Amino acid sequence: MLLDVICLSFIVALIRGGRIREFPKFRNLAFLFVSIGLQICSAIYPPAGGVLISIAYLFILLFLIFNRHYEDIRIFMVGWFLNAIAIWSNQGKMPIDIEQAKKLPYDLTPVINGTNFKHSVLTESTNLPFLTDVIYMPSIIPRVISIGDIFIMLGAFLLVQRFMNKPISLLQLREGKSYATKS
Amino acid sequence: MRLKVETRSKIKALIVPIGFPIAAILIFASLVPEWEPREHWGILFAYTLLTIFSTFAPIRTLNTILTLNNAVIFSGILLFGAWVGVWSAVVETLTLAFLMRFNPVKAFANIGQLVITIWAVDYLKNALDYLSISPMISDLIIAGAYWFINIVLCALGISYFFQTGWFSTVKNMAKGTTLTYLLLMVMAGIGSRLVELYGIYTVIPMMAAFTTMSFVFHQYYDSLNKLHQKVEEVKSFNHRFLTTMAASIDARDRYTSGHSQRVAHWGREIAKDIGLSSEKVEEIYVGGILHDIGKIGIEDEILNKKGRLTPEEYDKIKQHTVIGYEIILQAGMFNELLPAIRSHHERIDGKGYPDGLVGDEIPLMAKILAISDAFDAMVADRPYRKGLPVEEALNEIRRGSGTQFDEELAGHFIEIIQRMPREELESIIQQETQSQKQLQEAIH
Repeated sequence: MLLDVICLSFIVALIRGGRIREFPKFRNLAFLFVSIGLQICSAIYPPAGGVLISIAYLFILLFLIFNRHYEDIRIFMVGWFLNAIAIWSNQGKMPIDIEQAKKLPYDLTPVINGTNFKHSVLTESTNLPFLTDVIYMPSIIPRVISIGDIFIMLGAFLLVQRFMNKPISLLQLREGKSYATKS
Repeated sequence: MRLKVETRSKIKALIVPIGFPIAAILIFASLVPEWEPREHWGILFAYTLLTIFSTFAPIRTLNTILTLNNAVIFSGILLFGAWVGVWSAVVETLTLAFLMRFNPVKAFANIGQLVITIWAVDYLKNALDYLSISPMISDLIIAGAYWFINIVLCALGISYFFQTGWFSTVKNMAKGTTLTYLLLMVMAGIGSRLVELYGIYTVIPMMAAFTTMSFVFHQYYDSLNKLHQKVEEVKSFNHRFLTTMAASIDARDRYTSGHSQRVAHWGREIAKDIGLSSEKVEEIYVGGILHDIGKIGIEDEILNKKGRLTPEEYDKIKQHTVIGYEIILQAGMFNELLPAIRSHHERIDGKGYPDGLVGDEIPLMAKILAISDAFDAMVADRPYRKGLPVEEALNEIRRGSGTQFDEELAGHFIEIIQRMPREELESIIQQETQSQKQLQEAIH
């Protein structure tokens, strides 16, 4: 999903002199794997997509909550929260702006037919359209993202920096300190 | 008076935790429809990025940290209207709420004051547009208004949460941040107009400008802070040096160990009580420490003589004021203390020494130290006699008030002593070993 962002983050981390020495210890990593498994299942079996994706989202939330002592995870939570509002207020699926999506090299028929497991079409009656997938992002992998996705990408970037043992603390940046200590 | 204070805090309790959030919700609700049209999404997206960037790119000044958010919000208002400004405020608040320990009351009050500011500034902008004032001028007026409304409302919040005076908080905030704040706002105004004229890519040079500014400020205040630290170090060194001096003076005169420290202490108490500035108070303290420095020049036989002094010997002892004066004068340091050292044995009625000054001719510092000196000389134990009881010493000072001592200062001093808890007073008077201890500390 975020492969390009993650790759880019790794490159940045390498340039900053980061190396993987020890892995940060996350609690309840299993929740994350369950969530990924559920998402794979939903892609294999689209009719149950809505239910499986909703459950997968809850598992991600649990994982985030258990690891909220990391700042990066809390940035994820902002993104999760914004996306969740958009999804919940629109019957469990993320509306996507078809005009933007047409620029993508994918087949859009499942989305238009309403059979896509994750997305629906953005219409006049969509609630909170500004929080849905409306921004076309051309590179590196073309995609249509939401405002919440910005936070998820930022969170992913910061998390990779932590993996590479060069964590950046946004709060300390805000206080005028350059880089974070490991926590 | 008390009633007035109570009403004030009641008004604050009404405005800050209740009024601000209600206003926030109303303004918020009235602007959400503005976020929905398709053509606005790109702007919201761009301002989300800008807000995240500016939230974590602070500009540090000496005492406070300014984020660029106000500049971002301001540019949003100028270019598109209140809906963008409010969006930016919401994104910032949301991000910080997730990142920090979340305090709903404070967060709501904060976003309330920010949103009210944005709304009011937008209103003013529309009014100025209506009057068709040139954007150059109106931008400046709006920037000023933004700053003013923001700090006034912000100070209201601070004064409610931290129980400080509203007006003094406004004054403090204005003193610390005004120029940097206004600079950022004006930059944001110029940037917005450039974007309006030349398109969105103007943001790139603007960002470069802001980042550079942030670095310059960082460097500038860093060196300022370092300088500040150095000054503090020199001050503390000076202090230790002086303590050592005082201890060495007292060490020569074995009857009066700790005397200079105590005189300095009482001098400071009097100076504080009559409401002198903190620098003056410090000056008087140091003056107290050095007041007897001239005793270095008095021979041991006289200084440490048991029994009565002959008139000649007494005359020699009296010389310590002038000797001290000469030493400090030649040292070329602590010149501000000269009057304390020379004149602390002067009397109001002109019968003192060395110059026989009368009344107001005696410098204030010397008048203060004269009282402290006399008091300590009376109450401190000497090897050959026990110190007077405090009450008797105070009676002596009362008796000398108007002839030996300045009447007003003596009154203050007596009050200070009488207010002081008995044990504390005793422990100060008994403080003999302290100077030795501090001497050792200073040497190590």
